[in-house]
Amino acid sequence: MRLHEYEGADIFESMKIPVPRRGVAESVEDAAEIAGEIGYPVILKAQVLVGGRGLAGGIKTADTPEALENLAGELFAKEIKGLKVRKILVSEKADIEQELYIGITIDGYSGRPVVVASTEGGVHIEAVAEKSPDKIASFHVDPEFGLYPYHARNLFRKLGLTQRTLVSCADVTVKLYKIFSGLEALQVEINPLAVLANGGVMAVDSVLEIDNSALSRIRHPLPDYWERIENSLERKGKEIGVTYVDLDGDIALISSGAGLGMASMDIIGKHLKPANFLETGGGITADLLYKCMDLVTTKKRIKAVFINIYGGINPIHEGAKGVVQFIKENNLQIPIVAKALGNHQEETWEILSSGGVHVVTDAATEVAVARLVELLAA
Amino acid sequence: MSIYIDDHTRVIVQGITGKIGSVQTKWMLEYGTAVVGGVTPGKGGNTVEGLPVFDSVAEAVKETGANASVFFVPAPFVLDAFYETVDAGVELIVIVPEHVPVHDVMKMRAYMEGKDLVALGPTTPGILVPGKGKMGIMPASLFAPGRAGIISRSGTLSYEFAGILSEKNVGQSTVVGMGADPVVLTNLSDILREFEKDDETKGVIIVGEVGGDQEEQAAEFISTRMKKPVAAYIAGRFSPQGKRMGHAGAIVRGSAGTFAGKCEALEAAGVTVLDSPVEVADWAILNNLQ
Repeated sequence: MRLHEYEGADIFESMKIPVPRRGVAESVEDAAEIAGEIGYPVILKAQVLVGGRGLAGGIKTADTPEALENLAGELFAKEIKGLKVRKILVSEKADIEQELYIGITIDGYSGRPVVVASTEGGVHIEAVAEKSPDKIASFHVDPEFGLYPYHARNLFRKLGLTQRTLVSCADVTVKLYKIFSGLEALQVEINPLAVLANGGVMAVDSVLEIDNSALSRIRHPLPDYWERIENSLERKGKEIGVTYVDLDGDIALISSGAGLGMASMDIIGKHLKPANFLETGGGITADLLYKCMDLVTTKKRIKAVFINIYGGINPIHEGAKGVVQFIKENNLQIPIVAKALGNHQEETWEILSSGGVHVVTDAATEVAVARLVELLAA
Repeated sequence: MSIYIDDHTRVIVQGITGKIGSVQTKWMLEYGTAVVGGVTPGKGGNTVEGLPVFDSVAEAVKETGANASVFFVPAPFVLDAFYETVDAGVELIVIVPEHVPVHDVMKMRAYMEGKDLVALGPTTPGILVPGKGKMGIMPASLFAPGRAGIISRSGTLSYEFAGILSEKNVGQSTVVGMGADPVVLTNLSDILREFEKDDETKGVIIVGEVGGDQEEQAAEFISTRMKKPVAAYIAGRFSPQGKRMGHAGAIVRGSAGTFAGKCEALEAAGVTVLDSPVEVADWAILNNLQ
């Protein structure tokens, strides 16, 4: 789960990481009131969960109440990369001398958290890595030992930091690591970390993404996960316990595994356009596949359904009953092609065929997709 | 031979009394696997499929001589079960459950370091040696004995590849699910090293997917350390950026873990990159794996 900038800033503040004075506005009036309290100039930042917000025009500076009214109005009317702007963070404009970068993420290959720091903040860290790798330093943390201030100081010394800034940056990094491990984050980032005229530092942005698998055991109060899923079909998928990703084609897809689902998408994509990616994971029942059929046929333009499932951990013969029940109850007329292999495959084929599903018994998904293409051409 | 499991492998099932654990135990036994017992804390003294159930892993090891364990333990309890199993001296651990918190997996990796054991997963279908035995949930009917090694990040895609090969009479030496999480307990290149050493394996197929850098790191290993032919397929060519495609590890972040990047790295290492799973049959036949 990704948090909004303002939610991350609140968490930073609770850990005593210096952050700007700020407030969250849901209307132009809110924004004016907050700016009045903070004092001009202020920065207005659209709260949308996408990268590249600044370049897309989601960040503005207002010097006067008149400018604020115009700019806030513009932001609330805007869509940034397809997302509506519902909230604006109104924030103090700090007196910035230099912009740094601190991020902590997981290095999958070494299986360790990695702290990355740079003296080139405020821009995309990948661009810095490419252009000036000497301005980046990193440190892999032993997850059982943790991160100590001396690790962080050594990291920033490599980048040439000294005196008060060196110690302030190390302090922020240790606190950031506490947030990373305490909130079981996949990623935390301060970009930029502003160095102020007085040598102190301030986190003027926040990125924080929490591991969904750990959400239920995190004690820190967190925002509602459901609320932030913008697409109603994707939310429905979460509710029934599957992964659903909405796409813009017209072929509905149900698969019993993520890899198989992605491969099915890739193969279908050579000839047709998938309308979605749906992956059940290991929890198939008749009821679940009934709900999956309901979900993937919600959009009016669906031309066919492609089902690709394996009986390993999943009782696919049970799932088949749900598919057939849905077809019968809803008198579904579009072609449905299914490839179902593994434990209980014969029984599964029989049930699916009885519901008018075109069953393909070959091992390769390619063959099943060819069948689908043939049916749609007919 | 085969990799990781052989005639000396004696398996216990952790979470054996659960619905999935008990069904899968039955299927592992039917496949000829030497399953010798199980563990569920609080259920010691019971039996499942005629096998003794113990309260602790150490007790199970002592009573049955087990040296391998497969987990059907609920995700939040995996970390504890893992520490217990490592402490009991088990040499091979297969972690089937999905949704294990990644911070737990990092602790598990750190705990394994320097110890003489192999662990696969989490989110793995397990490991299967055709005709000999299996640990995990792979559906036996799709596999046939032979000379192709398979390593897959995805469970269902490992079945797809084995199924396509078996249909064309290309058998498999060992099929390994490495797990689909952002951090796994054994990296792709370490599994490749075992296949390179294994006499029975004459070629290896990597079934990868977008996200992470396992394939990129493996490419480096292949170019410098492998002589056997390698083919690879990367799922997720059309996956939208920034979306998690079911697997916690299958997400493209920025320019890292992309389909194009992986294919490029593998091709540069001399790997045959397959455009689609079905092409694996021709590649295998061309490389005398039949």
